[in-house]
Amino acid sequence: MLLEVANLSVWYDKAMLINHLSMGIDTGELVSLVGPNGAGKSTLLRAITGLVAWEREITRRSTHGEIKLEGTVTFDGERIDQVPAHEIVKRGLILCPERRRPFREMSVLDNLMAGSYLLKDRDQVRDNLNKVYQLFPVLQDRPNQISGTLSGGEQQMLAIGRALMSKPKLLCIDEPSTGLAPLLRAEVFQKISGIHELGITVLLIEQEVSTVFKMTSRNYVLSSGKIIAEGTGDQLLQDEVLRKTYLGL
Amino acid sequence: MNLLIDIIISGLISGSVFALLAIGFSLIFGVARIVNIAHTAFYMVAAYCIYVVTQRMGFHPLWGMVAAIVLVTLLGIISYKLFINPIREHHGAVLIATIALAMAFQEVMGIIFTGSYLSVPKLIKGYHVILGVKVFYQQLLTFGAALLILAGLWALLMRTKLGLAVRSTAQDREVANLMGINEARVAMATMGLSVGLAALTGAIVVPLTVLEPHMWMHPLVMMMAVVVLGGLGSLKGSFLGAYILGFAEALVVFLAPMGAFLKGSVALSIMILVLLIRPEGLFGVSFEEER
Repeated sequence: MLLEVANLSVWYDKAMLINHLSMGIDTGELVSLVGPNGAGKSTLLRAITGLVAWEREITRRSTHGEIKLEGTVTFDGERIDQVPAHEIVKRGLILCPERRRPFREMSVLDNLMAGSYLLKDRDQVRDNLNKVYQLFPVLQDRPNQISGTLSGGEQQMLAIGRALMSKPKLLCIDEPSTGLAPLLRAEVFQKISGIHELGITVLLIEQEVSTVFKMTSRNYVLSSGKIIAEGTGDQLLQDEVLRKTYLGL
Repeated sequence: MNLLIDIIISGLISGSVFALLAIGFSLIFGVARIVNIAHTAFYMVAAYCIYVVTQRMGFHPLWGMVAAIVLVTLLGIISYKLFINPIREHHGAVLIATIALAMAFQEVMGIIFTGSYLSVPKLIKGYHVILGVKVFYQQLLTFGAALLILAGLWALLMRTKLGLAVRSTAQDREVANLMGINEARVAMATMGLSVGLAALTGAIVVPLTVLEPHMWMHPLVMMMAVVVLGGLGSLKGSFLGAYILGFAEALVVFLAPMGAFLKGSVALSIMILVLLIRPEGLFGVSFEEER
């Protein structure tokens, strides 16, 4: 297993957002995480990438409520649940966050360079940049544009490109199609398939179940912080209750 | 004509000084959301540092400047570690802590040097007459040094990896974290950079001013006005706002009767006007909701 989550629980104050959850991904898979709003999908990705632990550290010093994290996360054979968020990316795990969140006042190129912040080898950086440009020619056309002025679709490409600049083994993407026009959604999904074909393992959160199930090898359905079903798209769609209650189809 | 040149020189010099102070202040605010009221107090400590090294110990002013920058930057980092970092996520507490810090510096300087007015020697003596107005070389030096420092800072922010980390963290520290940028370390480095800038400003300005323990108050008010005018957290805004206020101040001082007494009120009036008409300033920064 490339990523293995075992018995993970996350509390924000008294609310238990992740409830003794276990899951895993093998190298080379494209796996989706689906489920209703508030199921804990984003929290799960934030816990895996160290952001929950980071938030716990900074809120410990303020007056906000308490965050608790239990269980283990193993990546590439090493436990990472105690590793600070900023050290996780160098192990080959990165999150492309919800709402894209480019560095809005920085140029496209600076955004991409921030993605390869930890890479020391300049040739490696140039190599990654070329690959990202090949995947997203729209970014190559205007490296100096301030990213806040890009369209939503372009910002999504930038956010994915920025994540790819770190040369990840596992790319987690949180709701890439939100707020995009149907045509752009299709393009984003096509790019994600393209990234998967390059040999990068992908964990994808998405609301648009019907499209995603055609791309993925396996899917997890999340509800109330628990995994309530797992399987290929076809398997999950055969379950009437699941379809109606959790997938909205 | 003479008056015009006086106004231009005075405006350029105070503008540059305000720019240096306001940019340092904006930098640490942008990266760590720290409103550092003690910012100009560090500038005051740097000025006293130079006084000690030149007047009491008898070294060349250049050594005084080097000592001031190194020592005050260290003082800034130590203050950050001890008093600000432990309460960093609690913005109100940080504000109060920096006010306390500024008062402490003022009182300590008052105890050591008493409240009397002191001065330090100019780095270069002499003047040049431009269109009938005496322009001291020290004034030109201060102006030139300020521009050089601003250019250097720009290069640091836009052309180096540290600059990339600083800008990314200021934009979205959570995403910066994801990219492998240690935001806590960047915050500390930025504090060092910011206080270092304050010290540097003190070093180039002190030959033109009078030293006393309250000398941080007027620049603080001006700096705040500049930052409000330019937009909190915007470096470009701080730069432009600084020169606008520098010239506004010079105009009032030279043209209004008893203008020197109105110095502070110019800045405050502009500040109030901006807050009423356009609270986000010239280049207001909209903050991510995560912050």
